[in-house]
Amino acid sequence: MTSPTPAALNAERIVGSLVRAGVEVAASLPDSWLAAVIDRIEAEPRIRHVRVTREDDGVGLCAGASLGGKRAVLVCQNAGLLLSANALAGYGLHHQLPFTVLAAYRGSHDDGFYYQMYKGAVTEPVLAGLQVRYHVVDRADGLGVIEDAVREAWLARRPVVTLLRRAALLGDAAPGSR
Amino acid sequence: MKRSAAATLVRERLDPRDIVVCSLGSARRAWVELAAPHLTYNASDPMGTAPALALGLAIARPERRVVLLEGDGDLAMNLGVLVTIAGAAPANLRVAVFTNARYETGGGQPLPNAERFSFAAIAKGAGWPWTGEGRDEAEAAKLLDELLGRKELGLVALHVAPEASPYPADPGPTSQAEDRAAFQKRLADG
Repeated sequence: MTSPTPAALNAERIVGSLVRAGVEVAASLPDSWLAAVIDRIEAEPRIRHVRVTREDDGVGLCAGASLGGKRAVLVCQNAGLLLSANALAGYGLHHQLPFTVLAAYRGSHDDGFYYQMYKGAVTEPVLAGLQVRYHVVDRADGLGVIEDAVREAWLARRPVVTLLRRAALLGDAAPGSR
Repeated sequence: MKRSAAATLVRERLDPRDIVVCSLGSARRAWVELAAPHLTYNASDPMGTAPALALGLAIARPERRVVLLEGDGDLAMNLGVLVTIAGAAPANLRVAVFTNARYETGGGQPLPNAERFSFAAIAKGAGWPWTGEGRDEAEAAKLLDELLGRKELGLVALHVAPEASPYPADPGPTSQAEDRAAFQKRLADG
């Protein structure tokens, strides 16, 4: 019997946090760093998982679930946050509907691809400009903030984003290996 | 068909416990003008996300049927959502697309490729289990009977005539956040 990979162990922690926080609905659009998390959500019977074609569909879906009284999470890459700027601001500031986003934080020191770099440069300034609250998790020992972020969103009546760096999702494998 | 006639045909067929979600634009105006008693959420803005919001609401409240009155400009902005919804396939979601082939609130400009594409055909191709397209009141009445009589996801496109839709002079007494809170209270009260 093989041992679980660091990615699988971290996915277990992440989805465990979501369940403890009362999340019952999840939308996702893949990133390679998120594969284990999405697989674990799909296998979780306490969460209804919907695969979306665009990240702002996921924002709308989470807002609708929140409107109906359920806690919801969108799982996507940070490019999805950039694409979803209007939806995040609209549902956050105009409707004041709470939900959580878990985003792979691509394009920084821990990434290995030219085409990811621009995302790392603009993600936090864009979130700040949209008045979206966010947290950055550097390593797996910081994943506890996810449970807090779900509660924070509910209390603030706003979306809250948690940006997950490579080590928090995959462990410490070398950049460029996935 | 006038949009008020299309909205009336929908209203006549709804169950009192149905929840109505309106996208921005003329579909919403037609529904508001009826002053129907059904629990209603006006999803405008952000434009293009009303179907996803209705999907999330339907998933969150499977004991209630959700009927989305959608505008064609809103749906054209994000056709991929038809694939998303077909994949989730909530049995308690129905969609009626008010199709006038123009951005009415924006001033009546035509949609791209106006009158030469079919939302019903696109939805069918996206995997929706039931779709229909009505061009007059008789056709619309028959199709709405079927849409609301079935026990599964469905979409009907209703062709409505262009009508002036100027912005209202007064934005109204309540904000979206206040309307959202009032909607949630009514929903919680059953």
